Amino acid sequence: MSEAAVSPVVSAEHLSKWYGQVIGLNDVSVAVPRGITGLLGPNGAGKSTFMKLITGQLKPSKGSVTVMGEPIWRNPSAYFRLGFCPEQDRFYERMTGREWVTALVGLNGVTESAAKDMAARAIDIVGLTDVADKKIAAYSKGMRQRIKLAQALVHDPELLILDEPLAGMDPLVRRKTIRLIKEWGRAGKSIIVSSHILHEIESMTPNILLINQGRILAEGNVHQIRDLIDEHPHTVFIRAERTRELAREFLSDDQVLSLRFEDGGVVVQTGRPDLFYSHVTELAASEAFGAIHEVTSPDDNLQAVFQYLVKS
Amino acid sequence: MTNPSVLSSAFRVFEFSFGQMLWSRRSVFLGLLVGAPMAIAFAVRMVAVTRGLPVINGAGLSGATLFGILIWLLFVRFIVPVLGVFYGTSLIADEVDDKTITYLFTRPVPRSAVLLGKYFSYLACVVLLVLPSVVVVYFLIVPIGSSIGESFPSLVADLGMLAVGLAAYGALFAFVGAQLKRPLIAGLVFAFGWESTVLLIPGYLKRLSVAYYLQALVPHVMPADSSAISALLQVFQELPTVATSLICLTAITVGALWLAGRAVETREYVLEQ
Repeated sequence: MSEAAVSPVVSAEHLSKWYGQVIGLNDVSVAVPRGITGLLGPNGAGKSTFMKLITGQLKPSKGSVTVMGEPIWRNPSAYFRLGFCPEQDRFYERMTGREWVTALVGLNGVTESAAKDMAARAIDIVGLTDVADKKIAAYSKGMRQRIKLAQALVHDPELLILDEPLAGMDPLVRRKTIRLIKEWGRAGKSIIVSSHILHEIESMTPNILLINQGRILAEGNVHQIRDLIDEHPHTVFIRAERTRELAREFLSDDQVLSLRFEDGGVVVQTGRPDLFYSHVTELAASEAFGAIHEVTSPDDNLQAVFQYLVKS
Repeated sequence: MTNPSVLSSAFRVFEFSFGQMLWSRRSVFLGLLVGAPMAIAFAVRMVAVTRGLPVINGAGLSGATLFGILIWLLFVRFIVPVLGVFYGTSLIADEVDDKTITYLFTRPVPRSAVLLGKYFSYLACVVLLVLPSVVVVYFLIVPIGSSIGESFPSLVADLGMLAVGLAAYGALFAFVGAQLKRPLIAGLVFAFGWESTVLLIPGYLKRLSVAYYLQALVPHVMPADSSAISALLQVFQELPTVATSLICLTAITVGALWLAGRAVETREYVLEQ
């Protein structure tokens, strides 16, 4: 195997980042291998700081970081090989999805016609061709997430860095997107994807970086930790077209420990989140209870899990 | 792959951001701002048609003189600095506030090219909107007791001077915007506090203002009365040559842009979550 094929895509040496007195990342040394890697941690764990450091948006306070063998801070040519899908739901709202993706890939120095072709291909990959000429302001949350993915992959980068890419997607689009990410991985791309939901990450890759309080707690194939996490009750919020009927269905589900209604949806506590999530996806696909608009897992879930893990 | 050049990247950013800037909410404000002199000029023309030449301090003003006053007081001392402050300080700040800067800073273009491209967009926007407004004001005001043919060369010089002023103020406030976290107040203090004050103070301090150099490019004679203040102003009215002004304004523009680019290259933008 060539050196490039085995060398890490991201390498950090004693990497730290401080925001004044606040520590965002603390002495992290890690080598992220090629393939798909999940970055898992609760809110405020340091995921976003790590993502910003490896995408060159922030300068390390201490230590160093290289991406595909090159430093990333103040190295714009590295972005030819890297695509980034940020977490924030912010856009140039007056542009259409097609205009936006075309304009962004134009910054890579391609000709106008090539930019149009590349944008059309990327939009097609994320399944937004039929709404490509609508203004982004009119997009649903799921569409906005997918157009962000399109701008990240439009120039066919070797490394994709995706910050919470599944947030706000309905179960079906979420499933499609997970499938896409796995396909890109199989096609030889390296992908670093962050989430605060273990089951999302696990459905894409067994290779996980666990991060909490600015430190990497564990890395690699973390089945043992996953088992521990599975033993911990997990809270899921679901909003559907017919929420009450859906809740009645959940009452007959052995995995459901409790449920309550909140903010027009139902909050379910489950002891087996993996089984519960697949049950929800099946229900969404069958539309037995109408469309399922939202499935979210609050951040404090993972925070509680981490507290539980640290204790155990 | 090699690092892309700043100028070619800036051109790509210009293509991306020009339409965004032209159709932004800020352009509505810009439209109102450049519309005001046209409304004033129209009103003056109506008054002149019905009541004759306007009179200031007992002396009748020709259209050319009145146009000169409008150019200096409205455009050079107010509209141009205001546009510079509001657009220049927001070139990067708007993208940071909107959290869209990530999309530009994670593309293979140097950060200074992002600033430069957006600066060119600003310049194109304001020149496209301000200069036609000046031309409309000219054709409304100058025919009042003056000849368009005679004063036409001064219109061309005015347009050039305003373009240079927009470039200099825009660059200066782009630097302020790139360097400070709360640039708007600092910009307004500079434009309407510092500049207005130093122009009235005898000595060298006025050389640290943009207005001082622009003043030398304004080819109009300001009306003066016999008051003590007017006499004092005439005494202290020391102007640089046109060549000196152009060199200094170019140096301010290029220097401020270089410093702004440097600030953007090295500064971290931490977006609030």
